[in-house]
Amino acid sequence: MASGMLSFDQVPPLAAPLRFFVTAPLFIALAGLLAVIDGPAILASRWTPAALAATHLLTVGFMLQVMLGALIQVLPVVAGAALARPLWVARVVHPAINLGALALAGGFLWSAPGWLHAAGTLLALALLVFVGAAGSALFRVPSTSPSIRGLKLSLVGLAVVGGSGLFMLLALAGGWSLPLLALADLHAAWGLAGWAGVLLAAVAYVVVPMFQLTPGYAARPAWGFPVFLFAVLLAWSAALAFDADWPARLGRLLLAAGGAAFAVQTLRLQAKRRRARPDTTFRYWQFGLYGALLALAMLAAGALVPALADDPRWTPAFGLVLLLGAFVPLIVGMLAKIVPFLLWLDLQNHGLVGKALPPMNKLLPEAPMQRQFQVFVAAAGLALLAVLLPDWLSRPAGVLLIAAAVWLAVNLLQAAWRHGRQLQQAPA
Amino acid sequence: MSIREFLIDDHRHCDDFYAAAEQAVERGDAAAAAAAFGQFRAALLRHFAAEEQTLFPAFEARTGMTMGPTQMMRIEHEQMRGLVEVAEEALDGGDLEEFLGQAESLLIMMQQHNMKEENVLYPMCDQHLAGEPAVLERLQSELA
Repeated sequence: MASGMLSFDQVPPLAAPLRFFVTAPLFIALAGLLAVIDGPAILASRWTPAALAATHLLTVGFMLQVMLGALIQVLPVVAGAALARPLWVARVVHPAINLGALALAGGFLWSAPGWLHAAGTLLALALLVFVGAAGSALFRVPSTSPSIRGLKLSLVGLAVVGGSGLFMLLALAGGWSLPLLALADLHAAWGLAGWAGVLLAAVAYVVVPMFQLTPGYAARPAWGFPVFLFAVLLAWSAALAFDADWPARLGRLLLAAGGAAFAVQTLRLQAKRRRARPDTTFRYWQFGLYGALLALAMLAAGALVPALADDPRWTPAFGLVLLLGAFVPLIVGMLAKIVPFLLWLDLQNHGLVGKALPPMNKLLPEAPMQRQFQVFVAAAGLALLAVLLPDWLSRPAGVLLIAAAVWLAVNLLQAAWRHGRQLQQAPA
Repeated sequence: MSIREFLIDDHRHCDDFYAAAEQAVERGDAAAAAAAFGQFRAALLRHFAAEEQTLFPAFEARTGMTMGPTQMMRIEHEQMRGLVEVAEEALDGGDLEEFLGQAESLLIMMQQHNMKEENVLYPMCDQHLAGEPAVLERLQSELA
């Protein structure tokens, strides 16, 4: 208890989380680049080398990267569970996850066992160090809120998605005979629901009411939602031992229902928000929540009518809506608030006060972020249309996605540059 | 009622005034904004004072921890007092855009401060001060 009590006065140094946020957008750009190079082939099936590579550029290179960086900052604030050596963890995990994500994409793209082995080694290192450091801080504190319980479960989900991914990499590189299709479905479900979904909910429980001034999430569903997702995932995984189709279909249906309940509740709370202006974060969240509802409706429809997936366009469309329509915009929306806040907090902790301390919206102004949001929406929309007209639209969608990602990176780097310039005025 | 529940309610009470001030600025109603921000400031400073004069000393006396989380909270209170002043200056000077920027920075800082209190410090206070109901009673009278 004592160490947990003391730990929230240790603010992690800015350099620990910031590096993850600055490099992550480049992976969205790389996914766009693959679409430009490969064109329509990238949307032909979820199993093409380019589709597997692009999926993992988005999920590992962007989503996982931002989420790990954010957790370094979030754990002490939300749970009083500071990592023991945040800068050390960042210095190991950041290069490992960046190089690992690149190697993973390369391994898929060129079906190269050497690259896949390198990716497995680097990503295993990153996850072992991170889960070890975060877990030993987090599991020491009591679960006094739905968020803390959710954070703990999400870390377990991360271990499962990482472990299952590693296992499949070894199988793929070694040519083992395994039911890879069923395993890949479970791996994706653990990654997107058990890790990313639970983490998103755990963070939303505190961030949405407090930053957007909405009413709080109802307590009982908030405590129950992460546990519900976990129960479904565990039952679905156990059912893999039986040669039956219905557990996976039921699992999808239940995940879709649970996720939709969370998204609808969040939309209802946001409708009651009392902030004066709809800022970029809010717009990204609205977009992401409606995107999530569409993706979850597709998930449920696919579970009820399996013939839908006979159309080769169905699964790529679902993946695009879920990633570019929901998870990525929800995460970018958070970045738009967390980056200027951390830069601002760092200036304040360096002794800048009063007029010398520029407010957050001077570090990362609204106007360029709003325009970046519009480009992102256009890119996501065009990518979805490209499923229907791949010959015409897959390359333009890739170009727009690159533009949106580069613009995001430029906006964040400019904010960091303004912070650096301001820091020179700090008292020694 | 626990210390945590009572002080969470008081945080939300401060939020209400903040929201009213921001919305008045957005409507361009400077007088209403000044009134609401004045109420926000008073409620916030009263909350800080009750914590610093009643809750934190009781927690520190009970646990012997004077340089731990309560010390950090005191530092953040001091930073927020400064931010309230800067925002108020902008409002008094009629620079509403500057006010919105300064006020938002204050809001985000205040909310992450509140998260730490609500999820970590207050549960500890409830745990360690369970045998001292007078602390909650005193907080209730100070924040009535």
